[in-house]
Amino acid sequence: MNPEKLRKDFPILERKFNKKKLVYLDNAATTQKPKQVIEAEKRFYEESNANVHRGLNFLSLEATEQYEAAHNKTAKFINAGGIEEIVFTKNATESLNLLAFSLGERLSKGDEIVLTKMEHHANLVPWQQLAKRGKVKLKFAGITEDGRLDLSDLESKISGKTKIISVTMASNILGTINPVEKVSGIAEKAGALFVVDAAQAVPHTKTDVKKMNADFIAFSAHKMLGPTGIGVLYGKEELLEGMEPFLTGGDMISSVTFEKSEWNRLPWKFEAGTPNIAGAIGFGAAIDYVSKTGIENIEAHEQKLLKLGMERLSEIKGVRLYGPVKGPRTGMISFNVGGVHPHDVAEILGESAIAIRAGNHCAQPLMNEMGIEGVARASFYLYNTAEEIGLLAEAVEKTKKVFGV
Amino acid sequence: MTGELYTEIILDLYKNPLNRGKIADADIEAHGGNPVCGDNVSFTVSIGNGIIEDIKFEGHGCAISIASESLLTEMVKGKKVLEAGKISREALFAELGNIIQTRVKCALLGLVVLKRAIEEYEKNGKKKTVVKGIIV
Repeated sequence: MNPEKLRKDFPILERKFNKKKLVYLDNAATTQKPKQVIEAEKRFYEESNANVHRGLNFLSLEATEQYEAAHNKTAKFINAGGIEEIVFTKNATESLNLLAFSLGERLSKGDEIVLTKMEHHANLVPWQQLAKRGKVKLKFAGITEDGRLDLSDLESKISGKTKIISVTMASNILGTINPVEKVSGIAEKAGALFVVDAAQAVPHTKTDVKKMNADFIAFSAHKMLGPTGIGVLYGKEELLEGMEPFLTGGDMISSVTFEKSEWNRLPWKFEAGTPNIAGAIGFGAAIDYVSKTGIENIEAHEQKLLKLGMERLSEIKGVRLYGPVKGPRTGMISFNVGGVHPHDVAEILGESAIAIRAGNHCAQPLMNEMGIEGVARASFYLYNTAEEIGLLAEAVEKTKKVFGV
Repeated sequence: MTGELYTEIILDLYKNPLNRGKIADADIEAHGGNPVCGDNVSFTVSIGNGIIEDIKFEGHGCAISIASESLLTEMVKGKKVLEAGKISREALFAELGNIIQTRVKCALLGLVVLKRAIEEYEKNGKKKTVVKGIIV
């Protein structure tokens, strides 16, 4: 894998800010798009645009074929059983809302849901809303000093009333990759459904839904070179089969009378209304790109950048790094520069055309737990280079100089 | 260009903010924040004969917001409440120096919260006023 060669596929990486080449290190927020993805969307609109599943015309059939092919590619990518198990949503957030709604329908008063203290708001607020509707209680598994999921604490939160365990596969702040296979075993023993927020994992590490034995996983296309507005909910077929739909209307029904409706077969039962067809096709192209590059190669490359980045940043006096020092983590580094607010770090890095994220990263409870207001976060992907890590370290030094710390 | 936004006055006030703290038994108490970035600020103001006799602030946020809040307390101290309620963003920016477009919200956080609180205080017939959860 040659990142310099891959970079040529990403038109935006040619852009300059303040006469400096863009250094894009905010990949955990969203990734850039290769021309293959941009062209796939464009080609659809120029050549095949029609609504899907409203067949009976040749163009709609062509569009439907391409739209379903994207489901197929997604199923293969995460080793799902087939397209019945792949529901396209707007994003991982919508996937998790769908679950909180549709699984919530089946819960009884007093049931419990176990989450962790390192969840993104997307895997917290929908469950909170469910709890607010009065039925269920939320419990939170803690994290260890070095930013890992505390498995024994998680086990201690399990009771006979635990119905759902929902855990992030990779933290969007700490980068920690959680041992989802172990959590899955805990869930199985407890007789609870196992939900995985895999938004920060699927783009960066091999994700096999069968191996981890997840009942549901949620992730987004835009964090893995795909378009915005496309998300995925994977669910085991027999579970999806038994669930009520979240959104209802056109395309998700098999028959409708004025009195009642029957649902369409999977996955269409969960895809009400005209979907993001072009986005789905673009996502298919993104999966092709990632597969061709090789997820293992991407992971190895990110790990190299991570190691280098941690080395370089920890050499700078006054810089504090977060997340596990040892153990599996994705290619992201959250840090603080002593005496400088993370927003100001981001601002000064911006002067060097380095784009990072700063703030609470949609994980306010974790920030409170860590006793900090926010962090600066640099996150990497397949097109980032060692040279860019060097520029990051230099810009952090510059930040210290500006602030005289 | 380097650090042009971070003028001496901003860096000074960020590191050594003036009027930081809390006044007990204040006439106006105001708290607000920007949920997008997480910055937030509280002001406590004591008023005598329609004049701001003392004002203190407690802020969490970036250098621009802290410096701006601190500067604002200096600008309004000793002023009539009514006048303080009319301070314009231009007047504040003139004191702060170079505020670029992307950071205008940081610089305005304190001003918006304080002005909203003064408005409530006037509406309230100048009675003790507490305003919380102002979203900027």
